[in-house]
Amino acid sequence: MQRDVGSFPLAPGLRAKLIGAGFQTAQELLEIGPCELSKEIGISKEEALETLQIVRRECHSNATKTAGEPEAVGKCTALELLEQEQSQGFIITFCSALDDILGGGVQLTKITEICGAPGVGKTQLCMQLAVDVQIPECFGGLAGEAVFIDTEGSFMVERVVDIATACVQHCQLIAETHQEEDFQKSLETFSLESILSHIYYFRCHDYTELLAQVYLLPDFLSEHSKVRLVIVDGIAFPFRHDFEDLSLRTRLLNGLAQQLISIANAHKLAVVLTNQMTTRIGQSQSMLVPALGESWGHAATIRLIFHWENKQRLATLYKSPSQKESTVPFHITPYGFRDVHPPPPSQTPAEVEINPRKRPRIEGDKQ
Amino acid sequence: MDWDQFDMNPKVIAAVKKANIKSIKEILNLSGADLQRLTKLSSMDVQCLLKTVSGTLRKSCVLTALQLYKDKDHSTSQHQKLSLGCSLLDGLLRGGIPVVGITELAGESSAGKTQISLQLCLSVQYPYEYGGLESGAVYICTEDIFPNKRLQQLIDQQHKFRADVPLDVIQKIKFGNSVFIEHAADLSTQQLALLCWETMDTFYNCIAKRISVLLSRGMVRLVVIDSMAALFRCEFGAKDSVMKARYLQTFGAKLHSLSSRFRTPILCINQVTDAVDETDVSQSNFGLLDKNVSPALGLTWSNQLLMRLMASRTPQSEQSPGGALQHTGSVLRTLSVVFAPHLPQSFCCYAVNLEGVKGVKVKTPL
Repeated sequence: MQRDVGSFPLAPGLRAKLIGAGFQTAQELLEIGPCELSKEIGISKEEALETLQIVRRECHSNATKTAGEPEAVGKCTALELLEQEQSQGFIITFCSALDDILGGGVQLTKITEICGAPGVGKTQLCMQLAVDVQIPECFGGLAGEAVFIDTEGSFMVERVVDIATACVQHCQLIAETHQEEDFQKSLETFSLESILSHIYYFRCHDYTELLAQVYLLPDFLSEHSKVRLVIVDGIAFPFRHDFEDLSLRTRLLNGLAQQLISIANAHKLAVVLTNQMTTRIGQSQSMLVPALGESWGHAATIRLIFHWENKQRLATLYKSPSQKESTVPFHITPYGFRDVHPPPPSQTPAEVEINPRKRPRIEGDKQ
Repeated sequence: MDWDQFDMNPKVIAAVKKANIKSIKEILNLSGADLQRLTKLSSMDVQCLLKTVSGTLRKSCVLTALQLYKDKDHSTSQHQKLSLGCSLLDGLLRGGIPVVGITELAGESSAGKTQISLQLCLSVQYPYEYGGLESGAVYICTEDIFPNKRLQQLIDQQHKFRADVPLDVIQKIKFGNSVFIEHAADLSTQQLALLCWETMDTFYNCIAKRISVLLSRGMVRLVVIDSMAALFRCEFGAKDSVMKARYLQTFGAKLHSLSSRFRTPILCINQVTDAVDETDVSQSNFGLLDKNVSPALGLTWSNQLLMRLMASRTPQSEQSPGGALQHTGSVLRTLSVVFAPHLPQSFCCYAVNLEGVKGVKVKTPL
């Protein structure tokens, strides 16, 4: 036990006293009794006892960790990481073009930020993802659950019902054409009601409520271990008014981003945020840029910008560690988020008749 | 803040008191490391403190979408809608105006914006089963005087207009008594003379305060601001755009919180501006290229909205002038959804006549 005394979660004052008295490693503390310690560094016996308990507990949990699984310590090779990432799967968007530029869909353990002007489809994609994350595994989904944190009050449950109904119908179509047993079996539990009951909705009215909610998320997620997606719609609204002190805002936002990324890693889930756009006035012309400033730009791993081009909605992948920057069109149909050109209708004509527009990409994956 | 009522280790409570921390907000504004330094607690104690404090702030537990869907009266559900009093227009909006959130109605002058909002002031007073919210409305005029005559006319015609509601129900409602009118114009002319930011601030506060007084008394379940643009357009020059954006955000946030606290729809009427620049149109016109106007107040304001409606009177009536006249004896106008989280971009024609605003079915000329 050569761990440094300074690395234990002790109060700063206590830590200073310990080091001042010459304690350097945990081993030295483990050899000493509480009474002796209290005399040695001039603290009460209760405090000394508590300190020793903390040190012992930490040492103990550390010992089991190192003996058990090596990845818990946070060390792993790039190959292991790659394997992990590949086995994780993606949350598909039902727009195959968008999935392609994202490299398969919305990635787990990453923060994806969607920026766009009002009405371009940010909330629509969020609702779509909250439904899609629940697609059963045999259909190429994650069979997960979703947390939806709403700061703007734009979560319309009737719209989610539309999207969920279309998604269930779509899976039924696949099951019909393929006639496989596990399809039928998983469809029994994949219904509108089950989808709706696995979207956990939190309404936050201001930024303190949002911060508090994020502090509480880890506990909630350990209770609901199937959650694979956390949505914050939108991150910008509570932080864009009544902030006199912009450095406070930057600090809070950075803290929030750090917490979210650690949640995403610890629970193997995707975090999706939406952000507003704002006008930056340049010297010759003004342009639209995502809100919340430059430093917030580092918060998300993947950044998508939605915008209009004439009457067409476009999605641009603006920032991504693995995919190249590109732009694809998308549609918002009554059934949800979809491709502009439906992928070529496959095989049987019966399928095509029912609804060619709802042929999404799950099938493409299977082939 | 009484820290003693928190369910925490007394040592932690003592430390928080000693550090002179007064509110939950203050704790959440500090980073973990700062809290450790201020309270001289260990990081584990700080984690525990943060969790307890957050738990107290977020008393309302989680809801699933299924609960929202099934429980139609729930306080966070967006199920409830305020009917416009016309089945065609309600059909366009899937039942009407959402109860929580800011809805904007934009359009050029004489497009029928005021007519629609007057009608909402009346329909809000109907019982729940007829699409109302059983309460009054507050109407804030900022540019014009309130069209009182027209309101009386509409009230007199209610029995004809709302044929779906039994006559005795209509007769029981005292329509005129429950529409509260605020003339912000008188206020602003006095204060505009000063034209300093301090007063602007109190001016917006004043409006928000008056609304919240009426709302907290439970007399009102609809707020109409006619018009939003007049509040912000005249007082700010081009160089004050940053200031203007800040006020818009603050004011929008205030309206937001009032709306969700009292479950009251807020209808903001907005003017439109002609789009000058081609690129401007494609970027900010929300996919409505056939219109060469865009709502005033820019992107900052658009970001505050839940949904945006646009009223216009030009295109359809030009295409079929004869047809329009035959229909109603008045000009045919269109109400279109520009954006809304639950609606596609679509439109419906309507006509304004003696009894009120009614949707009109039109055979599409295509």
